[in-house]
Parts: sequence; structure tokens; C-alpha cells
Amino acid sequence: MKLLHTIIIILIILLSGCGRNKENLNEKASVSTLDKLSENPLLLSPITFSINPSKATMSTLYGNKIAFQHAKTKADSSYPEGAVLYEVTWKQKADSLWYGANIPDQIISIEKVQFTRNTVPKYELYGGHPLKKVSSNNQNARIALIISKRIAVTP
Amino acid sequence: MKKGLKIFAILLAAFIALQFWKPEEIEYSIPTKDLHNVPAEVNTILRNSCFDCHSSTVNLAWFDKITPANFIVASHITDGRKALNFSDWDKLEKPKQNATLFYAFNKILSGEMPIKSYAALHPNAKLDDRSISVLKNYLTTIAVRKPNQEVPPAAAKDVEKVILNKKITDYSKVKPTLNNISYIPDFRNWKAVSTSDRFDNGSMRIIYGNEIAVKAIAEHQTNPWPDGTILAKTAWKQKTEVDGTISAGAFIQVEFMIKDAKKYEATKGWGWARWKGNDLKPYGDSANFDQECISCHNPVKNNDYVFTAPLHLDINKFNIYNKTK
Repeated sequence: MKLLHTIIIILIILLSGCGRNKENLNEKASVSTLDKLSENPLLLSPITFSINPSKATMSTLYGNKIAFQHAKTKADSSYPEGAVLYEVTWKQKADSLWYGANIPDQIISIEKVQFTRNTVPKYELYGGHPLKKVSSNNQNARIALIISKRIAVTP
Repeated sequence: MKKGLKIFAILLAAFIALQFWKPEEIEYSIPTKDLHNVPAEVNTILRNSCFDCHSSTVNLAWFDKITPANFIVASHITDGRKALNFSDWDKLEKPKQNATLFYAFNKILSGEMPIKSYAALHPNAKLDDRSISVLKNYLTTIAVRKPNQEVPPAAAKDVEKVILNKKITDYSKVKPTLNNISYIPDFRNWKAVSTSDRFDNGSMRIIYGNEIAVKAIAEHQTNPWPDGTILAKTAWKQKTEVDGTISAGAFIQVEFMIKDAKKYEATKGWGWARWKGNDLKPYGDSANFDQECISCHNPVKNNDYVFTAPLHLDINKFNIYNKTK
């Protein structure tokens, strides 16, 4: 009986030790290899972010080097050729660690705006799980909205 | 048997002698008014569960007055009042009052409050599910933005213009914090670890991570985070647009957590810093202002004191869809 107690106590100590090293990643809110994207937009530079309370979503606007440099230095929508913007939109969920906050849940869409030699930038919409290219019936309005966003200001 | 009696008598005498040794007298029973602007039901819960340690009104149980229990109780009350004293409620501005209630409520939800050793002997300090839901419902009504609710679109003329009059050009002139941390201007070039919509106080945050932090995330080495990790949490005011969406408005502050297990051993392995406003004023009145940071982050000590659950930032190794199958 005593042996059993000792074993149980040792197990409890071991298990609680394992618990401490559990990593705290928001896996569900991330991009996966199965998503049909040519790059991981989450690894680009964040420009600004926005919230849509009526849809309970939150979006972060990312840019590649060229786009980020433009956003940092110019307050206009005329991104140069080679600039790529991604508007990544997540469903929100309540933050289990802070009542009063929402954090990203699953990604519901990724929009890519790519500036080429043409006057109209190239627009791609990715949706579904895994994310794959889908058609958009609202392309021009979405481009206009995305390129109108300005960098979040810091001193 | 006689020997046992003798020992008992000695112990009893020692116990009685101990009773002359008392903690320094603290103010126990100045009546605390109900919190202004707070519903009666909420006031009753706070009074029953929090006021004994967090106000000037204390209802001591008989056993609280016996040495050595009185020492423990006195230290609970002194520490409790230092952290939050509801008797000073009226001195706080409304936003600070609301922030205090959200903070206190999150301490309750995380199980940190009431302190377990205290609640064991004072069971009526424990909050039941009904009390928690009363508090939660009340907090929902005082949140700056109501959760899960549409925001009335702003009229074009009311959309706040965010203009930064003078962008700081020489960051070496930004004052270090009192715990000797220098400002880190480079964080805007880092990656976003996550974002947070703080509807409780109407702010929105991007949490940036430096290269070491991003590598640690990609390699699943975030508990503990490696030395050299820096996280920068930047807060902006929520700004309502004409379409009812919310974008990043005026800059509020940026907060840093800098990991160095040895250098910052005394402060849980992290250097803590915060700069506020467009003039980047370092936060804190004394060198140990970081105790405030630590006590807020204490409920997540098992996550190496980091609240944010990072987005996974490595496309090559990661595959959520296979995992769920």
C-alpha cells in the first residue's frame, strides 16, 4: 500500500513537471503547409490591424519589404511595383487568460494585393480550410479598402 | 503520562506568552462606503469577498486575533491594501476604476484571488458561480466597447484624424526606465507574434517578437523563452471608421519584456519596461515599478509570464490539418 502511495506521488510530481513545459502556441490561428499560398504572410511585416465587431473578426495588414518601406515613409496608396500586401482575417475568440480581450481564432480569409507594372494591382482571395484560391465578386472595393489603410502610428 | 502532561503545560504556557506578542496595530474598521456608481448586488459581492483585505473595513474572525494567525492576517491585509484598496475608490478616475474592476475580476478568474490559504480559513470570501456571473455581466456593461456587438458607424466628420506632430528622430534621447532599460526603437521591423482586441478599455495591440522570439516559436521553445527574446506589446486606441469597423488610432504605449534569465533573475527572468504617449515617457515612479508588471503577469507564470499565445510562424514544419485528423 505504501509503495502504491509513493508511486502515485512520484507520478503526480512527474506529470506536473511535464505540464509546466507545455508550449503556449495559438496553432489554430496559424497558416499551414496545406494552405495554397506561395509564402507565409504571417512572416512578413505587420503594417496595421483592424477589427470588425459586427462580424467578430480581426485583420492584420502585412507587407513585403517594398510595401512595408512604402507604408512607413509615404502616407499614400501608390505602392511601387513589386510591393505585396496581405490582409489576413481571423475569426475572433475570447482570450481565456483575460476577460476583456479577444484574440485570433481560425483564419477565415487571406487577400493578396500585388503591385505590378499594370495600373490595377493583382488581387487574390484565399478562403476555406485549408485555404485555397477562391473567386471574389467584390475585388475592386476590396483593393481600394486594403490600399487605403495607413500604417499604425508610433512615435 | 506525567511527562506528556508536562510538555503540554509548557506548550500551553508558551502559547499564552505568545499572545502578548502581536503584530503592529493596523487600522481595522473604518467603514468603507459602497462603491460609487456600482450596483448594490456587485457591491455586496465585493464587500463579502474582497473588502476584508482590500479596504479599511475588516471583519476579523476570532481565530484571526490569535498569535501567530494574527501575523499572517495582518500581512495579508497590508499587502492586499497595497495592491488595491477599495476605500480609495473615489480618488480614482472612472477609466481607472473600470480597469481596476477588470483587473480584480481576472485575478478571481485565474484562481489567484482570494488567496488560497486565506480562503481555506475564510470560506465566505470564495466566490460562487452566481457571484462570478453577476460580476461578469456588470463588467460587460462598463466595457468601453460591448463585446459581440455592432459598433455604430462614425460620421465622416467624427472620424478621428491620427496625426503624429513630431515623430521622434533621435531615439537615444528617449529616457531609459528607472530599472535601467533603454528604449528599443527597432520593434516596428519585427514580426507580429499575435494581436489582441481589448474591448474592456478600448485599446488594440500588436505583440511584436524579435528574431530570437520568432525562432523560438518556430522551434517550439517558448516555455521558457530563450535568453535574448524580446516581446514588444504596442497599444493603440480603438478608432471607429465610417463603415463601423475599428482601426488603430492614437498610440498609447509600448511595453517590452526582455528575457535574460541571469541578468533579470530578481524579476522572474525578464526585464520589464513601458513607454507611454507620443513623447515616450518611461513608466514608473521607482526602480521597482516592475513588481506591478510581475503581479499582473503572475497568473501566467506557467507560460513563463507571457500572456500571448503566439501564432505559429513557421510554414515548413507546421501542419494543423494533419494534426486534427
